[in-house]
Amino acid sequence: MNTENCITLKDLAIGYSGNTILSDINFSLKKGEFAVLFGPNGCGKTTLFKTILRIIPPIHGTIVYGGDYTPRFGYVPQRQYLDEIYPFTAEEVVLMGTFGQRKPFYPTSRTDRLLVDQCLKDVGMLELKKEFFSELSGGQKQRILIARALATRPNVLLLDEPITGLDVLAQKKIIELISELHKKRQLTIMMVTHEVHHIPSWVKKIIHIHHYKVVLGSLEEIISLSRIDEIPT
Amino acid sequence: MEHLLEIINPHFLLRNAFYAGLIVGFVCPQVGIFFVLRRMVLLGIALPQVSNAGIAFAFLLHTIGWHFFPHMESEKTMALTGSIIFALIAIFILAILERKRKGFTENRIGFTYVLAGAVSILFVSWNPYGQTEVLSMIRGEIVSVPDFYLWSMLAIYGTIFICLIGFHRSFVVVSYDADMATTIGKKVILWDILLYLIIGIVISFGVMTVGPLVIFGFLLIPPVAARMVTRGIPLFCIVSSIIGVVASFAGFYISYRFDLPTGPTDVALLCVILVLLYFGKMLFRFKR
Repeated sequence: MNTENCITLKDLAIGYSGNTILSDINFSLKKGEFAVLFGPNGCGKTTLFKTILRIIPPIHGTIVYGGDYTPRFGYVPQRQYLDEIYPFTAEEVVLMGTFGQRKPFYPTSRTDRLLVDQCLKDVGMLELKKEFFSELSGGQKQRILIARALATRPNVLLLDEPITGLDVLAQKKIIELISELHKKRQLTIMMVTHEVHHIPSWVKKIIHIHHYKVVLGSLEEIISLSRIDEIPT
Repeated sequence: MEHLLEIINPHFLLRNAFYAGLIVGFVCPQVGIFFVLRRMVLLGIALPQVSNAGIAFAFLLHTIGWHFFPHMESEKTMALTGSIIFALIAIFILAILERKRKGFTENRIGFTYVLAGAVSILFVSWNPYGQTEVLSMIRGEIVSVPDFYLWSMLAIYGTIFICLIGFHRSFVVVSYDADMATTIGKKVILWDILLYLIIGIVISFGVMTVGPLVIFGFLLIPPVAARMVTRGIPLFCIVSSIIGVVASFAGFYISYRFDLPTGPTDVALLCVILVLLYFGKMLFRFKR
């Protein structure tokens, strides 16, 4: 694995409208690393995630992106927040990933179409590309959103609760897909989850939000911390 | 057939009204798409009403001798300016409140609608002259569209249509997933402002030409109908405009043939198209 830091958070404080949710956040992600951001519902995982993605400005501190390059993010949002009123086909959702690199008034290029097909193929959804996105199952939608993130040609993939609300089989398949992408494409990956059993056992780096503090540890350490919390006082 | 040939004749007396209707029928559904997809339909009722208030206010100022243009400028220019200013102020205030999540959207829009409706009537009743003229303008005098007005409309709606096509990708991604749009480098706030600006201009200009009812009808019904029968965004956009143009053309023909008011005929026809497409879709599903 590369030792160069891809994202470094220094003395970061995050929140909305000046109200701090989490402070003293210090950690870094190395190139090609797989990290899981774990914590209970409402602890500030998504806020931290969105701050890293530059969607929300930090209240205090800095985020340094890469050494000699700015990472390109592939973002996979929580699918339930996407409105189903839009009559998109699966292919059109993936095509959105290319919009950041295209100028206005230019039609969609053949290169983009090929890229979209390749991303759909990589997530095993090529044959369903003409289907309505809103009519796909939860697992299939998740695959399409991962394909959309891949279409941005990312070097960092950030997934917000990618397996929440899926059945066990679909969860397993999505985790397999993410780990395959991590290995094949050497992507730096950060995944958010609030369920400890959603964390793949081979993940070495877990960023745990515990009692409003950000703690780094291995899966075993996180499980012990969670168990301590479960002990009645 | 005789009436149809008369309508499409380039020397037809009411040709400007006919062309204006076709322009509205073609362009408004493209703006309406974003009303429907962003779930802003209620705003589509309130904004024309606000635009009305702007027209009535500008007309009132003009009548009492208060001009913000040289005196020789027609009152229609002033009314259009009032309409645009009122609509833009309203849409930006509503957008800011929406972004800050202050209160409930329905309450804000409902309040805007009743306020605009009430002040429109008050402005008209305070106007010592030309109540009839103001009322006819607010209703949308689709039969009397001057040449200058038609050309202005073509220029403005044409520019808006080109913007909507050229910036389509940005408008779509910003509307659908603002967070993702930010991560790919889109300035969400700027795209939102541009879209609101387009909405404000389309509504203000349209209200003065065809009236609030017709504008709302063409903003809402073609996209709703098209969404039922299309798959994918490009087809959805194309079919929306086709429905708008067909309704405008057929509505004008029916109103001319049977001596009916054009605006309400257009809207009634749009509703018929919507219902027919709905039943057609049900039948198609049933047969499958």
